[in-house]
Amino acid sequence: MPDVFISKKPKKKSSAPTVAEPKVSLKTNGPESIVPPDPSHPDHLEDLKGHTHNPFAAFSFYPHGVSFSEQEPDEKVILLVRRHPITNIPWILLVIVMAFAPLVLSSFPLLDFLPFRFQEVAILGWYLLDLVIFIQGFLTWFFTVNIITTKRVVDVDFENLIYRKITDAEITHIEDATVQMGSVIRTLFDYGDLIIQTAAEIPEVTFDAVPHPDRIGRILSELRMKVE
Amino acid sequence: METIPLIGTSIWIIVKIFFLIALVIYLIFALVVIKQVNIMTDTLDLSFEIPVKVLAYLHFLFALGVLVIAFLIL
Repeated sequence: MPDVFISKKPKKKSSAPTVAEPKVSLKTNGPESIVPPDPSHPDHLEDLKGHTHNPFAAFSFYPHGVSFSEQEPDEKVILLVRRHPITNIPWILLVIVMAFAPLVLSSFPLLDFLPFRFQEVAILGWYLLDLVIFIQGFLTWFFTVNIITTKRVVDVDFENLIYRKITDAEITHIEDATVQMGSVIRTLFDYGDLIIQTAAEIPEVTFDAVPHPDRIGRILSELRMKVE
Repeated sequence: METIPLIGTSIWIIVKIFFLIALVIYLIFALVVIKQVNIMTDTLDLSFEIPVKVLAYLHFLFALGVLVIAFLIL
């Protein structure tokens, strides 16, 4: 199932593939090929399934304008994934319910024991709490990303507004990748966990609730074969 | 106005102080959010830095506004 935030680019009709040119081998190797496209031909990127310019995309193949501080000059970002947007529904519903709660509860005398000016500040404090739940939910989702580059796998965990953790493992250290999809919702929306076993200091890198975990596994597998 | 017999102070003064302390702590938290967002945008370039930073600053301004209002009207 397509990601709800990614609008599919219309597929351009390509001319007959020319095997001799490496840049065209991108098409001959299939839409998920990890062969780096020729940067001078951005049309090749547009043809890739999963390539998008949407900064909110949960699955972005060869993402546009994405980099990280420890990226090496010759290192290219192949894939950027984050949790499936459907996982945001609980906090979005909470924010909506909290936004309307003062209006709905105005007919109930919950704050009547307070003077009117205190009630006003209490309601403002309530909306402040609502705003922070929104910011926490959005930023946690937006900044918790998994990146696959030509050299390594990077796992950025923005756990909450105070705590964050960044781990990475080189592609050559990856030993195994396991896909876990264990519920009706996950199967329906095609998202799940990808657990990557490594021989590095950090034994496991987990991509939580990412869209199309099978495709990510295939991309990773192809990349490993290419690096080896 | 209700007063606390032992200290002879209005209960609402005490409540006001608690409100203000809570809001000052919240303001510090809002500053931490700005700092954290700045660190994250420096670490990761996701082509959406400015709106995220604006969101963090708006959150801080809202927290500051509520603190000022609480200080003035309570």
